[in-house]
Amino acid sequence: MAVVFSKERVGHEEVEKFYQFCKNSINTEVASYLEACVRCGICAEACLFYMGENVSGRIDPTLTPAYKADLLREIYKENYTLLGRLKKLFGFGLKIEPEDLKEQVRLAFYTCTNCDRCTKACPMGIDTPKLVSIVRGALTYAGLTPKDLADATNMSVEKGSPLGVDTQTFLQRIEFISEEYEVEIPVDKKPSEYLYILSSIELMKFPASVASAAKVLNRAEVNWTVSSLAHEATNFGVFAQSKEVTKEMLRRIVEGARELGIRYIIAPECGHAYQSVRFIAPNVFPEEWTFEVLNIVEFIDKMIKEGKLKINKKVLKERATLHDSCQIGRRGGVLREPRRIMNMVSEDFRDSVLIPEHNICCGGGGGVLVIGDADYYRQKAFISKMTLFDKAKAKTVVCYCANCMLALTKSSQELKRDYRFVSIVELVAEATGEE
Amino acid sequence: MSDVAFYDFVRGPFLKFALFVFFVGIAYRFFRVIFLGMPPDYAKPKGSPPFMALKKIIIKPTMGWTFNEIFSRRAINFIGGFLFHLGFLGLTFFVPAHALLWKEITGIPFPTLPNIVSDVLAYAALGSLIALTIHRALNPVLKLLTGKDEYFANLLIALIIFTGLLATRWAGGGSYIWLVSLHLFLANLLIIYIPFSRLSHFVYYFLSVGFMGWNAGKRGVSF
Repeated sequence: MAVVFSKERVGHEEVEKFYQFCKNSINTEVASYLEACVRCGICAEACLFYMGENVSGRIDPTLTPAYKADLLREIYKENYTLLGRLKKLFGFGLKIEPEDLKEQVRLAFYTCTNCDRCTKACPMGIDTPKLVSIVRGALTYAGLTPKDLADATNMSVEKGSPLGVDTQTFLQRIEFISEEYEVEIPVDKKPSEYLYILSSIELMKFPASVASAAKVLNRAEVNWTVSSLAHEATNFGVFAQSKEVTKEMLRRIVEGARELGIRYIIAPECGHAYQSVRFIAPNVFPEEWTFEVLNIVEFIDKMIKEGKLKINKKVLKERATLHDSCQIGRRGGVLREPRRIMNMVSEDFRDSVLIPEHNICCGGGGGVLVIGDADYYRQKAFISKMTLFDKAKAKTVVCYCANCMLALTKSSQELKRDYRFVSIVELVAEATGEE
Repeated sequence: MSDVAFYDFVRGPFLKFALFVFFVGIAYRFFRVIFLGMPPDYAKPKGSPPFMALKKIIIKPTMGWTFNEIFSRRAINFIGGFLFHLGFLGLTFFVPAHALLWKEITGIPFPTLPNIVSDVLAYAALGSLIALTIHRALNPVLKLLTGKDEYFANLLIALIIFTGLLATRWAGGGSYIWLVSLHLFLANLLIIYIPFSRLSHFVYYFLSVGFMGWNAGKRGVSF
């Protein structure tokens, strides 16, 4: 029951589909970005992939964000501008070869994590992630999603999670975590005010993180639950830019949450999950989406402010810095909250950036982590990231996204570094414990 | 054609024609993009999108400066770009000779810059333009991104500033009127060329930065 495809052969049919998708994705915002580029190339210096290559002494100009949207720009021009249309009319139109689409796969899927740092540096404010997302959508529409990503995406539709966690596995795992960490985790409790949706990365790879979130929710004494239907917060439809998959994954959340009479949805430590439930879902289900969405970090900060959670001790003794999740932070607005928490739980917290929005991505966002062919780029990107850890002289790095933790841990091991990555929720769970 | 007739032509009908093409072209490009439309957004904003859009339109070009490592690598872009825009816009509107022309066309009196300031601006703009063009030709990223459009625009603008300088500072006697006419002629070409090229980015600046600011407001980020 594959929903997205990963074709080996690329022919003219795929080119045509790619072209049509790009053409139909143009609106005022997209056109403004495409028209506004002045070819200054400053975005290259903001891109972690370009920077990583550069530090290694190799300059790869094709990693420039502006270049990643160039084919889309050409398609826009010949369909929407007078000169472009004239050119096309007289036979000087764009000729896209199947090889060009393979290059687009590299540019859009391997070397862009939609981290948004280029947008902040761009003097014209061009939202390259938005443009790259359109290219991704067009490639997926043409059946050219990278294999690893396509498999994980299809798995999530079929089983309920990209890691293959179905409802039964979910319930077993929750029971295991509940017993192992001695924490109460209510399942399908009706009615509940708060619904905590996990990501399967946490569930399978960072169970301590799930237990910590449960402890924090219990200590805040809110009426909460997890749902056996809405049990997966990750949405690989967003990575593959498949509207169909995005909608299907969100549908499960809407149905699960409505069934339990939920008011607040708490998104886990997962970047794009927060992005999808906070900013995408209301547009996919404009009528049904009546919930307020908080990220777990936002929730903790709110509970501390309201006096419902009390930090009793500083649990992190050594020098520590913070790694921001792009989709929760720079693109989600949760940047000050984790810093406030860090100052409360850490004795020696040093930020690696002056302005939180400047932080560098882990290199594995946007689905790059699951794509094996992108490993080289992810490791290069980690080199850019390392410069910030080293600037803060920190070996302990606190994260608030499980995907970031996984990507950073993997890259760190591959490059034989000894950084330690810790979840902020785990720290809070420890710090709110008895004195 | 006598020198005076040529001067009258470039300052009169040709300038009017150029301005006409400019305004029609720019309006077309602006509204063509506006009329493409936007899907509705039902996600509740975290901050104030209109306020952030306005704020970003005012401060966006300086935001990149705060990235220290980008600034140090691309100081030529930031400083050169800033000086060029300052010089180009300052010269276009506020040099005494230009202010007079704009007053004639619009009927509104324009403030004028002292000569020494105009000179500094002109040299700064010309110098930055040359530096930026050399940078464009040598930097691997810029080499990949640059088309003929950029070089043609840079050459045209450099010639305009240069002939302007020649006319006001160095030309004596009979060559003055020819230089002024040439300066005006090239300026008219530039005015016509703007709507057909990336030089029209000044219009899209408001849209693209406006959207960027709007999104920042929606997401509740302040930067």
